[in-house]
Amino acid sequence: MIINSHFYKSTIVLTMFAIIMITQGCEKDLPRFVAFEPYSFSNVDNNGGTWKQVHMTNVEQIKIDIPAAPDSDVYKNEIASAKAAISSMTTDDEEIIQYWGNNPIIRWNEIARELAAKYNLIPPPNADGTYTLPDPANPGKFPYFPFAHPPYASRAYAYLGVAQFDALIAAWHYKYKFARPALYKSDATVKQSLPTSDTPSYPSDGAVIAAASREIFSAMFPLEKEYLKEKAEESKEALLLSGLHVQSDIVAGDSLGRGIAKVVLQRAAGDGMKSAQTPKPISDSIKNAAFTRFGWKWTNQETPERPVGLTPFFGKVKTWSVPDLVAVRPPVPPAIGSSEFIKAADELKNIAKNITTDQRKIANWWSDGFNTTTPPGHWNKFASDNIIKYKYNPLRSARVFAYMNMAIQDAGISCWETKYYYHYPRPIEAIPGFKGILGTPNFPSYTSGHSTFSAAAAAILSYIFPNEKRQVDEWAIEAAESRIYGGIHYRFDSEAGLEQGRKVAAFTITKAMADGAN
Amino acid sequence: MKNKIIIFLVLTALFQTAILKAQTPSDALMMEKNELCIALIYQNDKWDEYWEGTLLRDNQNIGVLTRNTFMPMLAYGVTKKFNIITSLPYVETEASRGQMVGASGLQDFGIFIKYQPYELKKESGSLSTFISGGFSLPVSPYLSDYMPFSLGLGTQEFSLRGIIKYEHKSGIYLRGSYAYLHRTTTEAERDYYYADGSHYTTTMDVPSASTADLALGCWLLNKSIQLEAGYIQQSAFSGDDIRRQNAGQPTNKMDMTSGNARLRYFPNLIKGLSFMAGYSEVFSGRNIGKSTIISGGITYQFILKKAQS
Repeated sequence: MIINSHFYKSTIVLTMFAIIMITQGCEKDLPRFVAFEPYSFSNVDNNGGTWKQVHMTNVEQIKIDIPAAPDSDVYKNEIASAKAAISSMTTDDEEIIQYWGNNPIIRWNEIARELAAKYNLIPPPNADGTYTLPDPANPGKFPYFPFAHPPYASRAYAYLGVAQFDALIAAWHYKYKFARPALYKSDATVKQSLPTSDTPSYPSDGAVIAAASREIFSAMFPLEKEYLKEKAEESKEALLLSGLHVQSDIVAGDSLGRGIAKVVLQRAAGDGMKSAQTPKPISDSIKNAAFTRFGWKWTNQETPERPVGLTPFFGKVKTWSVPDLVAVRPPVPPAIGSSEFIKAADELKNIAKNITTDQRKIANWWSDGFNTTTPPGHWNKFASDNIIKYKYNPLRSARVFAYMNMAIQDAGISCWETKYYYHYPRPIEAIPGFKGILGTPNFPSYTSGHSTFSAAAAAILSYIFPNEKRQVDEWAIEAAESRIYGGIHYRFDSEAGLEQGRKVAAFTITKAMADGAN
Repeated sequence: MKNKIIIFLVLTALFQTAILKAQTPSDALMMEKNELCIALIYQNDKWDEYWEGTLLRDNQNIGVLTRNTFMPMLAYGVTKKFNIITSLPYVETEASRGQMVGASGLQDFGIFIKYQPYELKKESGSLSTFISGGFSLPVSPYLSDYMPFSLGLGTQEFSLRGIIKYEHKSGIYLRGSYAYLHRTTTEAERDYYYADGSHYTTTMDVPSASTADLALGCWLLNKSIQLEAGYIQQSAFSGDDIRRQNAGQPTNKMDMTSGNARLRYFPNLIKGLSFMAGYSEVFSGRNIGKSTIISGGITYQFILKKAQS
């Protein structure tokens, strides 16, 4: 037996194990939600109840009970039970309170984005080369309903924003009408875990947001009903333990939020989205009409070919603010083979050949493809970051999400109307042998959806956060540029899209300027 | 003759499928003191089916995915029981169909040490154990979050491997090894991604993994030919599944089992030269391509300066 006894023998073995132990120690704990501390609001907007609602026509259309008087036994009992619950609070409860904070709309927007990402997967081909589409009547049958593509997601975010905003305007109206002070003000011995605010507590705005959000998203993402219910329950529990509310604040908020969301959902039921995904004969006739008109047509390039593009009739869905889509439709794109087309194609070929790391990064940063929150979701994240930065209260936050997402959906509707009107082929179809670093989506090229969505979103964010104008405008341009780097859009798609998005957003801004919040 | 049997460069690990690291020294041979070995290895990895989670499927928008690896290696015997090995693969990927462009470039620089703490020699045969440890890291700004075209996982990897080998005097041997591959994180070019829920960061957790391998081989014709058949199992300790019709991402749990056959030939005419050829196939897997890999290589080793006796 030969045993080597060089001095470094054991050293080497020990070093190796040490490396493993050390690296094991830095296991990766990655952020699963946006980290921010609950904050004091920069403004309470005590006239918020007078702001103009988007969809509701009467601020008292959904009634809530008159709250029990401050000196009533009913209210005193509520205080006692809230205090009892607070006194038996665990550390987990405290974490949950901080997670939801005093502006839970941030979290609900986050949940919305997460569900959009979760459902943003295109149906795969069947073994026989056909495709099955999700069936809203049978959402749990694969492919699951919905496929949360950008048009679908833009619409879901818009309804969420509108329901939250309209419900909070009503909540503000009732808050100041009934003027019930926050629990910690009614009883100075109550332990209160969130920053204070002078906003009256009945109904609870957090409960309004939870109920409205849960209601809208249960309709948009029917397989997530249980998950949304859990989230809503957790949020309401956090409100009760925060020291701001008694149970009846939450119950009233819940019924108000739910009631308004139901009315808003009636609009959704009849907005035309149901027929946006047309059958093949209609899709073919749209394609042939474009071919007759312009001499070109877009065709899906996948194998097996997807017989119908994504939502050809999304352009027929009811807009929020744009009165006439034809008026915002950009002019006809360059003819295939024209010198302008060749110039754009050459740019793409040149980028594909010599792409820089920076260009690649921009393309990927904005890719927002499958399994992501979509381009509208990307802009919701920016909106959310600015809401936190400017310490907006829930009502003013809802206004940001409502107007931005209405503008984004209108931008999408307008863009889709344009896409299927011109039916312009993508670079991979019109440029022989062309390949890029991004997957080409299943709809025509002109105009770029990213550019249109982004310009509209940037316009609203600039209007609301004027100090951020430079930044958001830069982002919109970068988003438009990113599609060229990715090889899925010509420069003229992006430029026309930016212009179109700005035009669409102007209608939304006109509306916002007249809502009484300025 | 014994001196001729130097490093047996790693087809085992080279073997690893498509998206995995190109190599780990998992053989059971040592070089002499001051001996240098230069190797060039080529590997051609192809698949036309892959596991989307646990579902084996094809994708006509990928067709056949080809991954070519050219790997120069350098190994040096510090002592007879302590060797250093380095490698730097160049990788290129391409799909036969679809509109997505492939990638090419330098992948990860790897440095490994191998140490033989124990050897038992008897008339009937010998039993030896080895420990190898290594570290690799990306040397070009390739994007790991570009599956299935990405050049690699874009992570640092620390590996620790234990190897045990019994060789009968007839030249037949049996070798087993187990390795722990600790992987750090990789950077995506987006600050939000979905992997079993939301992640608000550009950082992706690349699951650490273990590999176990078993090989049966023999030496023929006065040790001028080495033949070997092996089985490898690799499993990740964590990670998510690729969801239906989604692309893979570095966070996935990538598992596989595979079998391989290899041949190495030491021509008698030129001392220090050898040729290698290998074939391997993935039998089962998860979030990984069903690869068929052919490889070939040439190695040349020589004494840099005579060891003092």
